Amino acid sequence: MIAIGMEGSANKLGVGIMLHPEDGSPPRVLANIRHTYVSPPGEGFLPKDTARHHRAWVVKLVKKSLKEARVSVGDVDCICFTKGPGMGAPLQSVVVAARMLSLLWNKPLVGVNHCVGHIEMGRLITGATNPVVLYVSGGNTQVIAYSSQRYRIFGETLDIAVGNCLDRFARTLHISNDPAPGYNIEQLAKQGKQLVDLPYVVKGMDVSFSGLLAAIDGLAAQWGLGGEDAANEDLRAQDPQSGAVHIPQTDGKPTRADLCFSLQETVFAMLVEITERAMAHVGSKQVLIVGGVGSNERLQEMMGVMARDRGGSVYATDERFCIDNGIMIAQAGMLAYQTGFQTPLKESTCTQRFRTDEVFVKWRED
Amino acid sequence: MESKLETISLPHLPASLPIHVALFRNVQNSAFLRQQLLAGNADFEYAMIDASLVFSRAHAMAAVFRAMNDYLNSRLKSHNVHSEIVFSFNPTNNIAESFRKLGISDSTKDLLIIKVSVSPDITHDSVATHLASSVEGVPMSFDDSTLSEIHDINKIKKLYKLGALPSPAVKADPSQPMPGAAKDLLESSLIGAIALRGS
Amino acid sequence: MTEEYKPPALPSPFTNTTPAPTLLVQGAEAHLYKTVSLDPSIPAALKVRPSKPYRHPILDRRLTRQRIIQEARCLVKLVREGVSVPAVLAMDWEGQGGEESAWGGAWLMMEWIEGPVVRVVLEQWEAWMKKHATALDASQMPMEEDRVRGLMKRIGLTIGGLHKAGVVHGDLTTSNLMLRSPAQGQRQETGLAASAVSMEGEVVLIDFGLAAQSTQDEDRAVDLYVLERAIGSTHPRSEQFFDSVLLGYRESHKGAGSTLKRLEDVRMRGRKRSMIG
Repeated sequence: MIAIGMEGSANKLGVGIMLHPEDGSPPRVLANIRHTYVSPPGEGFLPKDTARHHRAWVVKLVKKSLKEARVSVGDVDCICFTKGPGMGAPLQSVVVAARMLSLLWNKPLVGVNHCVGHIEMGRLITGATNPVVLYVSGGNTQVIAYSSQRYRIFGETLDIAVGNCLDRFARTLHISNDPAPGYNIEQLAKQGKQLVDLPYVVKGMDVSFSGLLAAIDGLAAQWGLGGEDAANEDLRAQDPQSGAVHIPQTDGKPTRADLCFSLQETVFAMLVEITERAMAHVGSKQVLIVGGVGSNERLQEMMGVMARDRGGSVYATDERFCIDNGIMIAQAGMLAYQTGFQTPLKESTCTQRFRTDEVFVKWRED
Repeated sequence: MESKLETISLPHLPASLPIHVALFRNVQNSAFLRQQLLAGNADFEYAMIDASLVFSRAHAMAAVFRAMNDYLNSRLKSHNVHSEIVFSFNPTNNIAESFRKLGISDSTKDLLIIKVSVSPDITHDSVATHLASSVEGVPMSFDDSTLSEIHDINKIKKLYKLGALPSPAVKADPSQPMPGAAKDLLESSLIGAIALRGS
Repeated sequence: MTEEYKPPALPSPFTNTTPAPTLLVQGAEAHLYKTVSLDPSIPAALKVRPSKPYRHPILDRRLTRQRIIQEARCLVKLVREGVSVPAVLAMDWEGQGGEESAWGGAWLMMEWIEGPVVRVVLEQWEAWMKKHATALDASQMPMEEDRVRGLMKRIGLTIGGLHKAGVVHGDLTTSNLMLRSPAQGQRQETGLAASAVSMEGEVVLIDFGLAAQSTQDEDRAVDLYVLERAIGSTHPRSEQFFDSVLLGYRESHKGAGSTLKRLEDVRMRGRKRSMIG
């Protein structure tokens, strides 16, 4: 059985083709391609620009993925698309494309919850059977565990998502959005040494980042570290060989790298803490990290230390599957499709709000 | 004069560090004892506490344990573990104030003396002998019923700022001990204050 | 990749303790032990918050310190106010061996509460009812239900006392409510109840790891709401009696009315909102 997955809930447009062999052997990724809309430094991606990007690229990506997978339209069983959650305009441009292909090729549609896509792809790639899932991206921050046919949300952000917090601070520092703002913060943080005090807000299994973001933005302003000029100063001080930035330390003044370092150390500690609490609550020893922020190596490292101390282990995927992609939509869609699930054309809408626990997980037992 | 020195092995502390405790009433030579402390006479390195401020045995042990834990972790705030014990009775971080309020004064009549076996030559016998020859007072057993005759509840409440707690003054018969619940409440509050000091 | 599991090491001075403290619970935040108080004949609970090596040492110290102190402060305040919680016996928030030490943890020694947690009491009662409900006569059934209502009301009174004292618990579940066993010879209920499950004893609130000082109706209402949800999910047969908690709560202090009004809002809102992808 072969499914095409189409994802475009944020600034990545992804198309993937997944094969579930009839003989029951492990599923195979036949194609997984992505094109990212990158906004200039200091700016976030706006819905209408992102939607325009997706509309411009979706046909090319579908053609390319079919070619890469060496399958013809006739081999495809279903077309899976992201129903939500996400940004309205980009979601819509992809769902229109999916609907068009469905009519053109006469293939059934399968609407997929984006978060469930991440979870199912993570489970498939890592082999984690029943993990506590930390889902961290630009739009989501959730701690999830499976129980009686639902992915239940044990904890989540009370305001902004962790990825959004990182992205917005990257804008404050005028850090490049290419390939991703979070990636560039991670690189800069590696040179940070001094930990500055930031608000740490954990309530039970929930977290809050908005106060922290305001505080670190304030520090950047106070020390004159925000904006284009400070970013250019860093670039000039960069060692062309090692990439390291040598800015002389003046008594107690943090560097841009220190702020990135402190931001990461603080928000990741919060995430690991609520994950550990959920693990203790449900008695699980496995953690699966999914979502774009999940590709951060420092987060993976911290999670690994926590899991080891609990006698467990952490499962994470690389950027191919962590960052939004089409193949995860194909995977989750196919699991639902195999249980008989289809999305009639009339209902093939998308929605900005679509909670992880709204999905009836028919394909898992117990 | 003989003493009724008691040697206590507090749970959780190393067996090599027993605590020697003596309680005296009607002490006659407080001025002399205080003078030895001020002069830094090593023979008189004791925790000497105004016993009217000691509510109960558990109260005293909480202060000793607090000082001993800080001693074992090398974070004494005063000169030695014995001055630290006096300080540990205090609910605030003011060391000088703690000595002034809780330590021995020239007029102290009732005295609680504590010594820790911080070196091997400090033994029950050595402490008993020295106290017997140095303290002019009536040795008493270190127990709650004796302390209840000595302690001044109002002074204790004032020191620990616990004025709102039920007072023994409401007792119908002052000769009776405090009702159990009120005693427990006050004792728990004192011990809690000792644990929280400096937090 | 899983390494061999090692039980956590005890902090000083409890490495001296004989017999060694018994590990009861290894939670996410803390390890709970049973040991003795400073009087070897009286038991005590020891809560250890170990250092978390995954986080930056400075941040780790800050959090561990803040939290153990916060918990102890709430308990001491509540004891003073006469709310039934475990008394604080001793604590240490400074870790060991200076700022760069290997152990940045903290510990809190508390009064040992002898008795069952309400979760177990309700589980046993529900199990008993499931088995015997059909055999009960007309007078026994309401009596059994009254017993649970009575317990719920006492719980409400206790929570009211907590809130009146200016503290919110932050994690009210039936696992964090205990029934202090009455002293020998003071049992009263014997023989009255059809089921063998005792509901006697003073209600004691435990585990103040997430507690905070607050007098806000919102925080208080969330406390009640969390308990309501916990009883609903853990004790489905007892959920119908939650009203008795609120009845006891209403009688407990003057401000109860406005908190209960706020509870309506909190219920409507639920805890979870939809998130943008």
